[in-house]
Amino acid sequence: MSGAAAIFWKELRVYFVSPLAYAFLVVFLFLSGLFFYMGIAVTGEASLRVMMGNMAVSLMFLLPMLTMRHFAEEQKRGTFELLMTSPISLPGLIFGKWLASLALCTIMLAGTFLYPAILAYYGEPDWGIIWTTYLGLWLCCGAFCAAGLFSSSLTDDAVAGGMAGVLLLLPFWLLGSVESFGGEALSAFFERLALLPHLRSFSQGVVDTADLAYFAGFIAIFLFLTYRKLESRRWR
Amino acid sequence: MIEVQEMTKRYGPFTAVNRISFSVERGEVVGFIGPNGAGKTSTMRVLTGFLPATEGRVQVAGHDVFDSPKEVKAKVGYLPETPPLYTELTVGHYLRFVSEIRGVTRSKRLSRIGEVMEKVGLSGWEDRILGSLSKGYRQRVGIAQALVHDPEVLILDEPTSGLDPVQTQGVRRLIHDLSGDRTIVLSTHILSEVEALCSRVIMIDRGVLVADGSLPEVRQAAGGDHYRLRLESRQGPLEDLGMVAAAVGGLPGVDQVAPRADGSLSVQASAGHPGDALLSLVADRGWRIVELRTHRPSLEEAFLALVGREQ
Repeated sequence: MSGAAAIFWKELRVYFVSPLAYAFLVVFLFLSGLFFYMGIAVTGEASLRVMMGNMAVSLMFLLPMLTMRHFAEEQKRGTFELLMTSPISLPGLIFGKWLASLALCTIMLAGTFLYPAILAYYGEPDWGIIWTTYLGLWLCCGAFCAAGLFSSSLTDDAVAGGMAGVLLLLPFWLLGSVESFGGEALSAFFERLALLPHLRSFSQGVVDTADLAYFAGFIAIFLFLTYRKLESRRWR
Repeated sequence: MIEVQEMTKRYGPFTAVNRISFSVERGEVVGFIGPNGAGKTSTMRVLTGFLPATEGRVQVAGHDVFDSPKEVKAKVGYLPETPPLYTELTVGHYLRFVSEIRGVTRSKRLSRIGEVMEKVGLSGWEDRILGSLSKGYRQRVGIAQALVHDPEVLILDEPTSGLDPVQTQGVRRLIHDLSGDRTIVLSTHILSEVEALCSRVIMIDRGVLVADGSLPEVRQAAGGDHYRLRLESRQGPLEDLGMVAAAVGGLPGVDQVAPRADGSLSVQASAGHPGDALLSLVADRGWRIVELRTHRPSLEEAFLALVGREQ
């Protein structure tokens, strides 16, 4: 993991000296505000249930755009050569980048604390549920960042990497709705694999180890695939 | 300092470098030359641990590049063909980042960065954004980046490509100042650069090593010094150049004589100047010497002779 800290701070700096992070924050906060309003207007509940489901889906499209430049750009600018001729380890590089993306997501989620504050002012929201909701979203961000990093390692072209990330994540969203065909066992399997069902329990205030394991596994698998992909590049 | 044994690098079916061997001693400045696509960059990438060699052994600074890449990378400074810059960062932030990943300890970081910036002529440029720098300054940052951890070995891939003459001069002076007990390998296809900077030349072509030695040695390998000789009879130019060539070729110490299109002769004499024997020949025949001069092949000519490619 050597070099992870240096990579982390560098990535965070690059995010904030370029317009990307700001554009991203603006879009995300706008969307979450919209979802918050819709949730209140439709259900009349003092909860973030509706907002969270919609936010997870929009992050599925947004986060690959945030992570798409990571390896694609390093490759294109030749800085990958700088990194790989430095005595840092490849896992350290990947972990540092992932952590920086997750840190930006954390800042972004912190920006949405305005909404529970509004709920608390006008009503009596269940704070336990709000915290678990945020935990679920945060894990979701971690998972999407990991998948986004992997898709960025697939190509030298940032945009193609971003699109690949979206395509990679879409099945995890859609899998939840394929129960109509296939047998009982198959749809149960898909149900397990799909992302949103695992998120649902968080929005109900339940922190299930199975769901935590799902997200941890998701993140670990994609970070590992990124490692394998970058490692194999050297051998071609 | 650098020890390459039978190194081969293949990309799929394509062989970029084919069984080359050479070694570089501490403090040497070696010019790595060859036409575009000869395998220079591939070799440098193997030396820096960026790419693994397909076959062969490569040792840099006492460590095997494949077995202990971290130790090697800590001791090597590398400037790729285009300086690897994060264009959105400032010079200061960039050099700080590089010093972190190259393992410069926190306490030494600031002083090291200051030193390096002064050395490459970037003092006072900390806050400039890399993307706004001119090519010459980007190259300076690239060199600063390669120096920041005070490496024993410096590997520079085409350090002056794309620079204007003034910038080129500056970079060359800088490289010259950096030599000393540091080992420097620089690749280039500008041969005057090698003549200006290097004590030794390694020449490769199509992945194969074609020459390795000091500049005079490489020139010698390509035929060495020639003499240009032009003779006339008292009446005017000599008609039968073939006969003259045969007569000069018969002198002791002369290896080879070739008539040239302009009516002069190209004389190769490895034993030294054939002056005395030539004078008596000329006196015997009633000729006179119109021109006799030494022609030392330029590195370009040596290069073309060794690479054996018509231009």
